Amino acid sequence: MNSLLIQGLLNGLILGAIYGLIGLGLNIVYGVLRVVNFAHGEFLVIGAYFAWVLLQYLGINPLLALPISFVVFFGVGYLLYFLLVPRMSKSDDPETSSLLLMFGVSIALSATLLLVFEADSRTLEFAIEPVFLSFGQIILPTIRLVALLISVLLVAALAYFLYRTQVGKALRAIIMNKDAVSIVGINAERLSGVAFGLGIALAAATGVIVALVFPAFSPFMGNDYTLIGFVVIVLGGLGHPIGALIGALLYGVTEQVAAVYFNPSIATILGFSLMIAMIFIRPSGLLGQRQLR
Amino acid sequence: MLTVRNLRKSFGGLQALAGVDITLPDESILGVIGMNGSGKTTMLNCINGIYIPDSGDIALDGASLLGLPVHEVAGRGVGRTFQVPRVFQHLSLLDNLDVAQTGSAAGNDDRYALSEYWLKKVELLRLRHNYAEELSGGQQKLLELARIMVARPKVILLDEPFAGVNPQLAQMLIGIISEIASRHHCAVILVSHDLTSIYQLSHHIIVMNEGAILTQGDAATVKSDPAVIEAYLGA
Amino acid sequence: MGSPDFAATASSQHRQDRSVDRLKYRIALGLFAALVAALAAVPLLAANASFAFYLMVWIAMATGMNICVGFTGYLPFGYVVFYGVGAYATGICFKLLGLPIVVALLAAGLAGAVVALLMTPTLRLKGVYFGIVSLGLATIVRLLISNLPESFTGGSMGLILAGANNPTHSYYAMLAVMTLALACVLWLSTSRLGRQLRAIKDDDGAAACIGINVPRVRLKAWLLAAIIPALVGGVEAWYTNVVDPEYSFHVLITAKSIIYGMAGGFGTIIGPVIGAIALVGIDHVIWERFPLINLLLLGMVIILLMLFLPRGVVGSLIKRRPQLRRYIA
Repeated sequence: MNSLLIQGLLNGLILGAIYGLIGLGLNIVYGVLRVVNFAHGEFLVIGAYFAWVLLQYLGINPLLALPISFVVFFGVGYLLYFLLVPRMSKSDDPETSSLLLMFGVSIALSATLLLVFEADSRTLEFAIEPVFLSFGQIILPTIRLVALLISVLLVAALAYFLYRTQVGKALRAIIMNKDAVSIVGINAERLSGVAFGLGIALAAATGVIVALVFPAFSPFMGNDYTLIGFVVIVLGGLGHPIGALIGALLYGVTEQVAAVYFNPSIATILGFSLMIAMIFIRPSGLLGQRQLR
Repeated sequence: MLTVRNLRKSFGGLQALAGVDITLPDESILGVIGMNGSGKTTMLNCINGIYIPDSGDIALDGASLLGLPVHEVAGRGVGRTFQVPRVFQHLSLLDNLDVAQTGSAAGNDDRYALSEYWLKKVELLRLRHNYAEELSGGQQKLLELARIMVARPKVILLDEPFAGVNPQLAQMLIGIISEIASRHHCAVILVSHDLTSIYQLSHHIIVMNEGAILTQGDAATVKSDPAVIEAYLGA
Repeated sequence: MGSPDFAATASSQHRQDRSVDRLKYRIALGLFAALVAALAAVPLLAANASFAFYLMVWIAMATGMNICVGFTGYLPFGYVVFYGVGAYATGICFKLLGLPIVVALLAAGLAGAVVALLMTPTLRLKGVYFGIVSLGLATIVRLLISNLPESFTGGSMGLILAGANNPTHSYYAMLAVMTLALACVLWLSTSRLGRQLRAIKDDDGAAACIGINVPRVRLKAWLLAAIIPALVGGVEAWYTNVVDPEYSFHVLITAKSIIYGMAGGFGTIIGPVIGAIALVGIDHVIWERFPLINLLLLGMVIILLMLFLPRGVVGSLIKRRPQLRRYIA
């Protein structure tokens, strides 16, 4: 096989892992709160800037910035939940209201980033030696392999949390049946706050990884990442974290392989077309429930 | 005349209908009783097109209704009410009835007159400008009934019309349903747990159990059938 | 059939009822007519009609969005696709095919209708899924247009409609489009189609059970909702003489259409109009004084609206005082 193609596949896997993290974050928030976090991409970009600021002004290694950002943004998300979401559940159409609310949040966030950091893109000046690793004909930037490793570790940690810890199991219970949880005596509101915090923390952490992997980031990139998150969810099925991972890999590979042969825009078009095709062939996604009117 | 032949429907491993046959002559009232889960609502859903049966046939005046989309079944003259009334909450009562005359070629005045007639009949005329969401549960049931009648149906399917309705309202309903069959040339399939009303209204009764008809006949026959007493406890 | 005779003698009660209903539509009609007249007079009185022009743009866009959200119950996050396609249809027809501007504008409306028809299968989708797919489609169209050869669509640099510049004519064309939008929405609120749409929005299953052909009714509304932004995009291209993929398919166009409409309230027909007027005014003032925080304030407005006035100003007013329903369409 063509070595470029193999590289494309590998890049697809790596990016797929990153996209999977985005999808996971969105899924957790949606599964627990029925809130589609339109601002997910913006939190991702904020995470990237956070790592940049830590490196630039405090000299903190991005690999260390990752867990720091996770903790910090968990707190931010937790607080934000109580500020924003409980009101939404009282409205006529909570799903639409929260969608529009998060849309507003996304605009406010990217505008704030624009004000603070201006429109020029930033780069995370961080290099790992050796910069490239070669396996025969195939050359991969080391940083991407490191990112892949981190992503896998994050997913594993998340899985452990959701399946082995009390809080995680409670979260999964809420995803399955929100009302039943209150009856059993778990504080659903606090738990929802945890879920939201978790989703935001994931987004920020993914942002750090993105800053490591991609050469530059700017305030308006959030939109693109949110959209990718949505594509991943649609492919995998809303409410199904594992589906999101599979969908992400599918999307990542399609995009990167296409990028080998065509220009990046075409790759994006193909990726999105895949999503649209999936909606019509299998509307519930690979693993999800029916979502038709 | 509505005929149902050998209707079968399964959901996954669960057989909801295991071969049901019904003949519903014009202007007659068919009572349907049976335990929860015996297939009554599934049968109604098949007749009005919400479910597609696995096999069997449903025909109205000779023409098959199988495979037709729900709105076309309605257009052929089949009306349906639901256990929990599904009225249009953000429309006024008048608009609820007007929108149900969607297939009608009649002009504004004629449609209004018909709406007025049925609102008067269910004693909701004075609330005609109110939004449906302002009505009580019992009133919404009456509105739902009025709404299907303005479409001048040939057959109406009533799913638990007496559930959650006070005795006074129930009496009114009985009168209306009886009149619907006799004066408005409409056949009625009446699904209910309210045995008193069923016995009072129905020309013919079928007792369903586990997706099939356990027994059928007039009120006297059904009341005294040992199989029914056993299956339905005190029928 | 022999059933009791319903032959209509238009009862006086009916006439009374109708006039009660009509009051709110007469008020709306009066407001709209006044608005159109005022805007028609602007070029005759003011040197710079640009503010008024964009006011009309947003009134039309918010009204079109009202048809999608308020009447048909869809949240089209990719709404801008109609606007962009209309702008490009006009640009291509005028610049590349050399057709007269009027034909180019009609082509804009047609292009919007075609895209809407192509999107018919997506109308089956539920809320969030529909929103995502529509956003994805808008992105695909934008990328396609940027990547097609320059001779087709001007590529990523766009098109310049040199020689089309006529601020006065294009201003009145936009007035016509806005008037069309207002007329559509006024018609919809009194027509059978409008009632059917509202019934579908409340309970589409029950609507089907009473004989409404849900997909077909939705499609009709969707077509209307698509043609309006397409025409707006076309006229705006004429006015500014520029069409480019970044601007003509910008997500902010969708965002503003939603926000301005929502600020007034999608449940009424005058709500979005009032919302658009208020917010365009505020936006204009703020942009003049504080250009940098403009976007941030837009986001804050959305957040505050959704938290405190989710039904919009007009909608919340009606909720507080239901008796006002008689006067507000």
